[in-house]
Amino acid sequence: MPWAPSLDLHLSFRLDGLGAIYGLLATGIGALVFAYGTRYMTLHLEHERRGAVERWRFWPWMLLFAMAMVGLATAQDLVLVFVFFDLTAVCSYYLIGFDRSDSKARTSAVMALLVTVVSAVAMLIGAVLLYAAYGTFAIPELIERVGPSETTTVAAALIAVAALAKSAQVPLHFWLPRAMAAPTPVSAYLHSAAMVAAGVLVIGRVHRLLERSELVMTGLLVIGALSIVVGGVLALRRDRLKQVLAYSTISQYGYMVLLYGMGSSTSNGAAAFYVMAHAVAKSALFMTAGAVTMATGEDRLSKLGGLGRRMPVLAVASAVAAASLAALPLTIGFFKDELFFAAAWEEGSVTTVLAVVAAALTLAYIGRFWVTLFLGAEKGQVTERSVVMVAPVAFLAAVTVVGGLVTEPFARLAASGGEVTAGRPVEVDPGYHLELSPENLMAIAAWTLGGLLLAAPRLTTVLSRTLARAGDLFGPRRGYEAMLHGLDRASAGVHGLEVRDLRSSIAAVLVPAGLLVGLAFAATPTDGAFALGHVSGADWVILPLLGLITVVTLVIARSRSRLAIALALSVVGFALAAVYALIGAPDVALVAVMVETMLALVFVAALARLPQEEPDEDRGSVVRRKRRRRDVVAGSIAGLAAFVTVWGFLSKPAAESVSDDHIRLAPEAHGGDVVTAIVADFRGLDTLVEITVLLVAVIGVATLMRRGKTW
Amino acid sequence: MIIAFALATAVLFGSGAYLLLKRDLVRMVAGIMLISQAAVLTIIASSLNRGQAVIHVGPDDDPSDPLPQALALTALVIGLATVALLLAMVHRVVVVFRTSEQDALAATEAEVEARLERKRQADREEVEGVEGAKEDDAEAIEHEELGRVR
Amino acid sequence: MVRRSGRGAAPDSVVRVVARMLPAPSVMVAAALIVKGYAEVGDGFAAGVIVALAVSLTYVAVGADGAEAVLPVLRHAPKIAVTGLLLALASGFFPLVYGEEPVSHQPAPGEPLTKFGKLELFTQLLMDIGVFLLVVGVLVMLLHQFGRLRGEEKS
Repeated sequence: MPWAPSLDLHLSFRLDGLGAIYGLLATGIGALVFAYGTRYMTLHLEHERRGAVERWRFWPWMLLFAMAMVGLATAQDLVLVFVFFDLTAVCSYYLIGFDRSDSKARTSAVMALLVTVVSAVAMLIGAVLLYAAYGTFAIPELIERVGPSETTTVAAALIAVAALAKSAQVPLHFWLPRAMAAPTPVSAYLHSAAMVAAGVLVIGRVHRLLERSELVMTGLLVIGALSIVVGGVLALRRDRLKQVLAYSTISQYGYMVLLYGMGSSTSNGAAAFYVMAHAVAKSALFMTAGAVTMATGEDRLSKLGGLGRRMPVLAVASAVAAASLAALPLTIGFFKDELFFAAAWEEGSVTTVLAVVAAALTLAYIGRFWVTLFLGAEKGQVTERSVVMVAPVAFLAAVTVVGGLVTEPFARLAASGGEVTAGRPVEVDPGYHLELSPENLMAIAAWTLGGLLLAAPRLTTVLSRTLARAGDLFGPRRGYEAMLHGLDRASAGVHGLEVRDLRSSIAAVLVPAGLLVGLAFAATPTDGAFALGHVSGADWVILPLLGLITVVTLVIARSRSRLAIALALSVVGFALAAVYALIGAPDVALVAVMVETMLALVFVAALARLPQEEPDEDRGSVVRRKRRRRDVVAGSIAGLAAFVTVWGFLSKPAAESVSDDHIRLAPEAHGGDVVTAIVADFRGLDTLVEITVLLVAVIGVATLMRRGKTW
Repeated sequence: MIIAFALATAVLFGSGAYLLLKRDLVRMVAGIMLISQAAVLTIIASSLNRGQAVIHVGPDDDPSDPLPQALALTALVIGLATVALLLAMVHRVVVVFRTSEQDALAATEAEVEARLERKRQADREEVEGVEGAKEDDAEAIEHEELGRVR
Repeated sequence: MVRRSGRGAAPDSVVRVVARMLPAPSVMVAAALIVKGYAEVGDGFAAGVIVALAVSLTYVAVGADGAEAVLPVLRHAPKIAVTGLLLALASGFFPLVYGEEPVSHQPAPGEPLTKFGKLELFTQLLMDIGVFLLVVGVLVMLLHQFGRLRGEEKS
């Protein structure tokens, strides 16, 4: 469907395999999180001593986010993808910053917004580059037309940067752990199954574009691998529950980026499968963290322990989720790693080793998470139990187990998703094979290594802390902060230069504009460019009217009294209305008369509310006279430039106008008055926007005059 | 006729620009109004042919160009809304700063800015102090945990 | 100047009487403008401004508080404006439901219309009415905002 045909933008949506996967995740997990959130947000607001009304600052954004996510999942047009991308980012800004009294939440929200939105602009640039070279924004057509070239490489890299930032991949990962300042439902939704998944979704969607560039594919491999290791190692020793999960998310999406970087059809199918399995498990774990925090009031692993006996259902359900993340058998997670191992084995020895290390890290950090929380000595008081907050976790755990036994539907979904990515049929065939296949050997190796890591906390502590310290010292967050400070300073500098003295900045716009026009005037040939025009018929009446307008305008410029200005302005307005009436524009004349009347009233009323103008003490002083002379010169230059421009412009009318079509079509559109037909029909969208502006403006007036009271 | 329209437009625009450079905010609003009048006049003057009103046009009629008229309509309406908003802004400025003179406003703003900057500096110092403390806290916990593991 | 007399101690009685009587006929004129809109000069916008002008005369004649006492309907101006906007937007984007482009109307171009006297019934009429309501609401709100003099504000 065309959206803005002149810009070649189309609203094209299609529910294909990939769209189905992400759409299902967005709606399915969305529904669970919404249910969970009803209870969580009530408690959260109670704890924060905020009114229950505040939840209306929360749910609309969640809903809008869910819709944007579904739109993104089904969008088939790069610009549309960009729009939804930014829409999710804007929603996430409000959601992360929900606790707006907390300065940390605010900076985190800004950080998430800036990192994802600024990098999303890279995607738009990439899209425009592709459009310039291949003439379409539509993804399916682009995939057919694009060949390997330098443009493709640059554009693919730009798109990949946007997607990777969204999926919190190294080195643009730092926003995600910070974003944990959000209420837990937000993390359970945005930071497990939706917002971060959007990046991987885009990679999956445009994979065949990225494939055209060897460089980009290698980049994906490297960044995926880095993210797996950095995220995994940092997750090993985090103390706050959600921080562990955040770093785990970075690492897990690293798996998917790595899989897409491999680019074989096995790995494409595996990536699609991985998204589902991970989203289900991670969402359940986030909700577990939220439920535990709400129950005990603690959010640090070091202050919690032995909850298993006191919250048995939650313990079992989250055990299943954790097992799925760690790829233990009988869960759907087992197959995600089986497929991952298979793809890694196919790729080569480096990825094989990496895959084993990655899986071992996952087992180690998620094992520590669960064991510390639910086993061991009892720590922390359980004060609040809520069925609504445990049930979604239990449900997701059930899905996990069912997926571990009956893989068929998930495999089919993943296969169709992989097919969209790869552009050819993809086999996704997970199953238990009790034999010495490479996948099974790798899994056993990973479990052993992971168990060892889990049992050797000293080693992991040293490792994780060293990396964390290095990251603090040299990490990309430093760069982000330095950049922000620099921008802030630059903006303050420009503000000081430009805005403080409004008048000189206006002159700074007007004078160069006038000079530029003058230059253009000097450079273009003037022979025959200007016509005087003829005077005939009604023009003899128009001429004196224009003369009147000129005189009154000059009076306005010289006038000392504001009231006189107001009245003279309406004289100009009415004279202009008469001119419009005389040149066959009765509609404009009618509206002009009424608008002028209204304006005169409003202007005089506003003047009545302003204090009397103070008499000018230093009128006639040297400074004042000098400034006045300068203003007159600037005004004259502006007027002269306007004269030359308008004269030249009016002298060269276009050969034909769309108006002829409008006149021809008007009767068909049931319009006798062509102008009305244009306003209400041919250019109806403009009118809709215009009346919206009217309402917005009057709300602005209300805000300024009476602090937003519209009546 | 062409040159007459161009002259009128130029005077409107030039006077508008001159008023924009004035110290008084109300005159600036008037300047903006004049400039928007100049724009509407230009649009209307640019219609290709001028004749009878474009209502129930027959095949032999010589109608005016309707498109500029439609555009001018939009411009007029938006102009009304903008001017109302600008006047409200001037009113607010006068209420808050008790002046509608540019120079006085600029002086006030510079003063406020300086005060803000001082406050921001103080805030920054405070925040940095607090954050340092928090990091120490986290360190302590990690040490404690390490000790427990040992 | 009319405005001055409205602000003075004894508003001109003729102005007052006219102001009292004008709003009703102005609504009639507005209705006429909308009905004729497609055939003759005028549309929802012009109709809206006419009604708003009649109201503004009342403001001038008896002051803001007086006008709002005489015409209590004015209190609903914000609601009227929002209703109008929603109506216009709805009629504009309604065709999307049918898979047509926004602002295309029903019955489609060229097809016969139901006529009600001179009034031609088709969806564009809804948009015109929406614009009318919006303009009336917005302008009355403007009058309300600017209408009170300094120091007259109720806190």
